[in-house]
Amino acid sequence: MSPINRRTALGIAGAAITAAAGIGIPFVSGLTGARSTGKLLPSRTPIPPAFRRRLTIPPVLRPSRSDTTTDYYDITQTVARAGILPGPATELWTYNGSFPGPTIRSTRGRTVKVRYTNNLPVPTVVHLHGGRTPPDSDGYPIDYVYPTDMSYYALHHNPQQMTSDHGRMTMTGGDTREGRRTHVFPLDQRAATLWYHDHRMDFTGPSVWRGLAGFHLHHDAEEASLRLPDGDLDLPLMITDRSLDSDGSLLYPSLDPTLVNRPGVRGDHVAGVLGDVMLVNGTPWPVMTARRGTYRLRFLNACNARRLSLRLDPPPPNGIAQIGTDAGLLAEPVRHDHLELAPAQRLDVLIDFSGYAPGTRITLVNDFDTTAMGQVMRFVVDDGRPEPFKIPSRLSTTPPLRPEDAVVTRKFDFRAGDVDDHDGWLVSHAPFSPDTIAARVRLGTTEIWQLNADFHHPVHLHLSPFQVIARGSEGPGPYDAGWKDTIDLRPGEQAKILIHFDGYPGKYVFHCHNLEHEDMAMMANFIAT
Amino acid sequence: MTTTGNTSSPASGTATRLRRRWPIWLFRITITAAAILAFNQAVFAGQFLSGTYPALRLHRDMANYTVAAIAASIITAILWRRAGAGPRWPLPAAVALFALTALQTFLGYRLVLAVHIPLGVTVILLLVALTAAAWRPTR
Ligand code: HEM
Ligand SMILES: [Cu+2]
Repeated sequence: MSPINRRTALGIAGAAITAAAGIGIPFVSGLTGARSTGKLLPSRTPIPPAFRRRLTIPPVLRPSRSDTTTDYYDITQTVARAGILPGPATELWTYNGSFPGPTIRSTRGRTVKVRYTNNLPVPTVVHLHGGRTPPDSDGYPIDYVYPTDMSYYALHHNPQQMTSDHGRMTMTGGDTREGRRTHVFPLDQRAATLWYHDHRMDFTGPSVWRGLAGFHLHHDAEEASLRLPDGDLDLPLMITDRSLDSDGSLLYPSLDPTLVNRPGVRGDHVAGVLGDVMLVNGTPWPVMTARRGTYRLRFLNACNARRLSLRLDPPPPNGIAQIGTDAGLLAEPVRHDHLELAPAQRLDVLIDFSGYAPGTRITLVNDFDTTAMGQVMRFVVDDGRPEPFKIPSRLSTTPPLRPEDAVVTRKFDFRAGDVDDHDGWLVSHAPFSPDTIAARVRLGTTEIWQLNADFHHPVHLHLSPFQVIARGSEGPGPYDAGWKDTIDLRPGEQAKILIHFDGYPGKYVFHCHNLEHEDMAMMANFIAT
Repeated sequence: MTTTGNTSSPASGTATRLRRRWPIWLFRITITAAAILAFNQAVFAGQFLSGTYPALRLHRDMANYTVAAIAASIITAILWRRAGAGPRWPLPAAVALFALTALQTFLGYRLVLAVHIPLGVTVILLLVALTAAAWRPTR
């Protein structure tokens, strides 16, 4: 071998090693993938200890008055302080001073009217998530309710800053109100675990993070006939992850901390903000005493971006029976050993604690995380014995939608992309604008929407629930049963949903419910006629 | 360094053409780097399609470095030809790849994935072929 060839051979070997390292290192370091699309925001305070404080159930709101058709409620959006940490109190934005907000319980056949008063420093918008609501009460993202006290807003509001870039932020507002607004909820819909939360354009993420979310539990005769566990056996559980600052306040990586002008979050948090303190109904890692009976647990993932995989450890001897989801009861119970839940989704389950010995400590774990966030809350079984409950084999009659009945198939792409020269998120290549209509649908018709995702995108449609008919080349997944209003799209996934449009004519939005994606423009309009 | 293949002595033929060794090494280094960077684009695409957001940033940043490495390969291809009496093919090959990769980047930003992905695979194949050719022992 000539010296030149030896040198070449050595060079080839060197190049091969370089190539192996240059490719192998990034390859191996990224093999695991991610359970949630988002970036952890570490708290600047020691995280509170787990399983010390009791679980609380948000108060049920009493109507201010009622007449033959309608129950009237009053909710004030207000700053409040809550003891989340053992140390300093945490300032929150709340509905009626509590986080979660007060629970509204409604029954099909009676209209609910809620008068919201905005005593917060910034404009608000309320959306009843999962509600079959006329457009003027649905909380369109620019239907602002301006603060009763405009001083903060007037001080910080800078129109110049808002009209920067490409005019996406020039919107002054849609159908706005000063101080208060009454939402009319006909609630002509099946019994379901609904929730209400802030929906202000560009600022939903920080507003919900600060506490603007509450349950709305809707009932109907079909559900009542099942005599499901109720009272203290019917537990709405709102799971949220949050991060806290050293002074006890909530930490959030806003570009504009006044939450008035420039939307968005710093750096890779545009992928989603993940907290490192797990709250259930506003309490970090709470404990609950459970009697040895069957509980109805209504799980709501109200995290901005975090996906959850919930499991009881040790597992309940009789398993977990899912009876409902976003838009109401399933046709029949579905058994699970764990529950996967994307942001905004609900799973309504029955768990029989009677198989556990008194004194057993059961941890609700989250298998999508390995840190402290791998735990959610704890149940401690006592020796109380409520009446045994037998899970019915049929729950509700839901006429299945048929793909053959679809009048059109539409395709929407949920992907990363530029928004006003910043990293953002697009629906079919377009950032949200109140003036761009992505779909015109006819009420009374059924459509197939094919949804493609690059990352995790929990896609939510207002007004009309849907059924998942396919994921990739497969059928629906284990948590897709029943009527959904939010689908857990996973990276690279392509899913088909069947939507029956029904309700009220007008303009509605559909969007990603990773709230940082939503705020960074992953939203679009449809008009129903 | 102005001695080129063109000016080498016509009388003594190719065997005695002045053949400097360093230009081929430069070309080998730049084209190998380009091939690794391009291949890693597929690695990063796989990662962000598994939900890892920073991999998308890497995919985008590495697009620039890939284009830069190919631009550098154009220069080293010229050097190899001129100063190292190298073959003719590296220059047009590097120029073509530069154009394809620039197009690839554009299509990436425009999310024209139906073209972006097959073109990405093609770019990787071509770069690997070019790298293999560059590493062929020269007499
Ligand atoms: C030479 C190779 C490549 C270059 C220069 C390149 C460049 C780019 C660029 C600049 C983007 C836009 C990123 C952004 O919007 O932030 C992009 C997106 C993308 N690339 Fe590539 N790419 C290459 C190869 C590949 C390959 C081989 C694949 C797949 C096998 C791929 C898959 C994708 C996908 C799926 C997107 C869309 C990202 C999304 O939906 O968010 N690319 N690429
Ligand atoms: Cu999203």
